[in-house]
Amino acid sequence: MSSIVDVRGVSKTFTIPTVRRDTVREHALDFFRRRGSERLRVLDSVSFELRRGESLGLMGRNGSGKSTLLKIVSGIYSADAGTVDVHAPVTPILELGVGWNPDLDAIDNIELLGTVMGMTLKELRSATPEILQFAELEKFAHLELRHYSSGMAARLAYAVAFRAVRDVLILDEIFAVGDAGFKERCQARYRDLHRAGHSMLLVSHDPRTIAAFCDRAMLLEGGRIVMSGPASAVADRYLSLLTQDEAAAFRSAAR
Amino acid sequence: MVSVATSGTTVGRAHFGGLVWTLIRTDFKTRYHGTIGGFVWALLKPLTMFLVLLAVFSYVFASEPQYKLALIIGLFLYEFFQESTKSGLLSIRAKGYLLTRARFPSWIVVVTSASNAAITLALFSLVLIAYLAATGRAPAPAAVALYASYQVEFFAIVTGFSLAASVLFMQYRDLNQVWEVVTHAGFFVAPIIYPLGILPERAHIYLYAWPPTPIILFSRSVLIDGHAPSPLAHVLLLAETLAILGAGALIYRWRVPRVAEHL
Repeated sequence: MSSIVDVRGVSKTFTIPTVRRDTVREHALDFFRRRGSERLRVLDSVSFELRRGESLGLMGRNGSGKSTLLKIVSGIYSADAGTVDVHAPVTPILELGVGWNPDLDAIDNIELLGTVMGMTLKELRSATPEILQFAELEKFAHLELRHYSSGMAARLAYAVAFRAVRDVLILDEIFAVGDAGFKERCQARYRDLHRAGHSMLLVSHDPRTIAAFCDRAMLLEGGRIVMSGPASAVADRYLSLLTQDEAAAFRSAAR
Repeated sequence: MVSVATSGTTVGRAHFGGLVWTLIRTDFKTRYHGTIGGFVWALLKPLTMFLVLLAVFSYVFASEPQYKLALIIGLFLYEFFQESTKSGLLSIRAKGYLLTRARFPSWIVVVTSASNAAITLALFSLVLIAYLAATGRAPAPAAVALYASYQVEFFAIVTGFSLAASVLFMQYRDLNQVWEVVTHAGFFVAPIIYPLGILPERAHIYLYAWPPTPIILFSRSVLIDGHAPSPLAHVLLLAETLAILGAGALIYRWRVPRVAEHL
């Protein structure tokens, strides 16, 4: 299989100032005062490839750099070093639970998010009933988003994103939203897309999800890939990392 | 080595028009959401404002019919400048929820942020030209064309400012308040309520550096006085426009790669 996403030696460091200056006034008043900063290396020479038609899982504890890596591959963040070659259009499905225009109804928000994700207005207008049906929100199509619960808003976002799919899908915790029925529809859609030949990069904290939906997986720890291989083996290693954490916490509490 | 190469952003050429239209349409809808009359008010606002100002100024400045029109043109153009730069400055922050979801060029968000103000200005211009025609002072087609070209340059100036300010705002969160003070003071720098001639000639160059000044003066000149500014004046305005647009684009390009990290 040829590679569709090629990541080579990607590093990313965030500089976090010890004293925040967010305004013109603060910059002017503290102009001559030295300001320290902490450098947080989130990704350290990460390399991997996503092959055409492959479903690749990404696991790691909180703060291991998973979300930053997804945003770099999606082109939302820029890397400090390394190369990211993406040979096909990408649909990122990230942070979908947050951020809508609360003054617009579901149909207008579907058009807004759908066009941003690369769909034409014609495609969107014909797909809107299907999107609303997938999210089980047909009755609330003309309700402004300010009146939606967070679960309803997230379901709508996933429904749009799953309809806007292009060649490569980058997904962050997709099966953590909605009730059992909605999760089942998301899983079925994921399998359909995989069968249709789409390439997937999937982040999840759930070892069962990675083992069930991915051909291969990687484990990210402290910004580095510490393991890459069969999805079930990586899921087991991730579980053992979590078990070690819990055992350490237990020992520390017992002292 | 840092390099990110993709086969294209999420927005391809075929989708560009749809995205621009959707951003303009939803901005317009959001702005007039909940107001009495909604869209109708949005369309009637320039007409009603024009008629109200015309009635008041006709009474107050009865002896100077030219002045009332000059004042109305100045007020409308300056309102466009104030409103469009304010929404441009806040545009990336306001649409941050879209920028963190997909890879698409954020400059589209900045440029379309001025659409509401531009629609109001376009409607005002139609009302003004209709009024001039109805009162027997219809501007020549060349004058209308020149007036339109000034508004295009004005839009380019606003775009240049907005490109720079929208990315700087992510780091300087009180920039909108600073800009509000600047535009309030700038209202008196631009010769809106007073004629430029009352100031010493050596001060004119500084007033012309404030972008609304040449736009307002040139617009009045072609529509009310019926004569075009000199070719040199046009060249200087074009140079000022390109300088602001170019500087804005450079600052935007410099800061935009890190913008998503501040959202």
